[in-house]
Amino acid sequence: MSGQPTLSDMLARIQRLPALPAVALELLDTLSGGDSDVAVLARHIAQDQAIAARVLRVANSPFYGLQSRVGSIHDAVVVLGFSTVRSLVLAAAVVTGLPGGHCAGFDPHRFWRHVMGTAVAAQSLAQRLRRPPESLFVAGLLHDIGRLAMVSIYPEQFARALVIARERDCSLREVELEIFGFDHTAVGAALTLRWHLPEEIIDALAYHHQPELGAPGGLAPIIHYADAISTALDFEEAEDTLMPRLHPATIDALGLGWQSLTEVLADTRTRFESYRLLLG
Amino acid sequence: MSETRTLPLAQALPGMLLAAPVLDAGGNVLLPAALTLTENHIESLHRRGIATLAISTPAEPVDIARKREELRARVMHIFRHTVDDPGSQALLHAVLAFRQEQLK
Repeated sequence: MSGQPTLSDMLARIQRLPALPAVALELLDTLSGGDSDVAVLARHIAQDQAIAARVLRVANSPFYGLQSRVGSIHDAVVVLGFSTVRSLVLAAAVVTGLPGGHCAGFDPHRFWRHVMGTAVAAQSLAQRLRRPPESLFVAGLLHDIGRLAMVSIYPEQFARALVIARERDCSLREVELEIFGFDHTAVGAALTLRWHLPEEIIDALAYHHQPELGAPGGLAPIIHYADAISTALDFEEAEDTLMPRLHPATIDALGLGWQSLTEVLADTRTRFESYRLLLG
Repeated sequence: MSETRTLPLAQALPGMLLAAPVLDAGGNVLLPAALTLTENHIESLHRRGIATLAISTPAEPVDIARKREELRARVMHIFRHTVDDPGSQALLHAVLAFRQEQLK
């Protein structure tokens, strides 16, 4: 189809997107085992007041049940640990640093609530399935980041995709493939490859709708289910919320019994009530 | 507080609330947990040879019953294209039960 953007057009234009705050890039580097000084990072985080304020709001929420109020990023690292604070800072940086641009019909509030729900559901699943909670949180946080890039770079085409998906009452991904010839999973994987994220996170983004194609033993199956759990718990607050199709063999292989699944739902709900404070 | 009791199908009445999903011999879900029974449901269970049901008692105040039905309708709306998908079954029934439980 003439005039249809290609994935390489899209990637060339990604350069023009606003970059993530420097502190987020530094933190992402530490996820890949980069050699960063925690004290220096904590100081950098504290300098970004918009991010620090959001992080402290969550650190002081009932979820962490702290005896006394945490007043600084340094204290938050001492009390909650670097890994927890790193997740919170990354989430705050992504939310504040990657605005949705101007695209008719795209609701950033809905987008971020769904994303945050997926990130906390992935954390909760990680705990029960003994998988890495921080990588899963980050993968959940970024699982639809490709969509945000599409919205920013091709707002008119994306607005059309939103209208068509609503009219047909079908999945937005289906219409993305039809209009663009690629979907948000491909864009998200390409974007995070550029950010030098760990391979397991890139794989989870690339295959969260086709977990059977992901790396064996990878994180895609968990993000696949976390995405569905966030949708099922109705965090988006949108009339046309639609459950994505789940791959039965993938869900079976997770081996989550009724009791564990119920616990994950309750835990995800509780975590969401705190983490949504990152959304401002 | 509600209690769960097992009731012979012959004693089931419209308006009663299922405490657990009704399964057939193959383990397939015929009716989900937290569903308010109608006459049609009961007839259909008779046809399928179901003998007993887990019922949640006592009956709830009208406003709770209405909220429960709205919640069920909302969850079914979210699952509108996947309600019969094998991959969705566990999540659908768990989220129905969990969100209904939250109403209490």
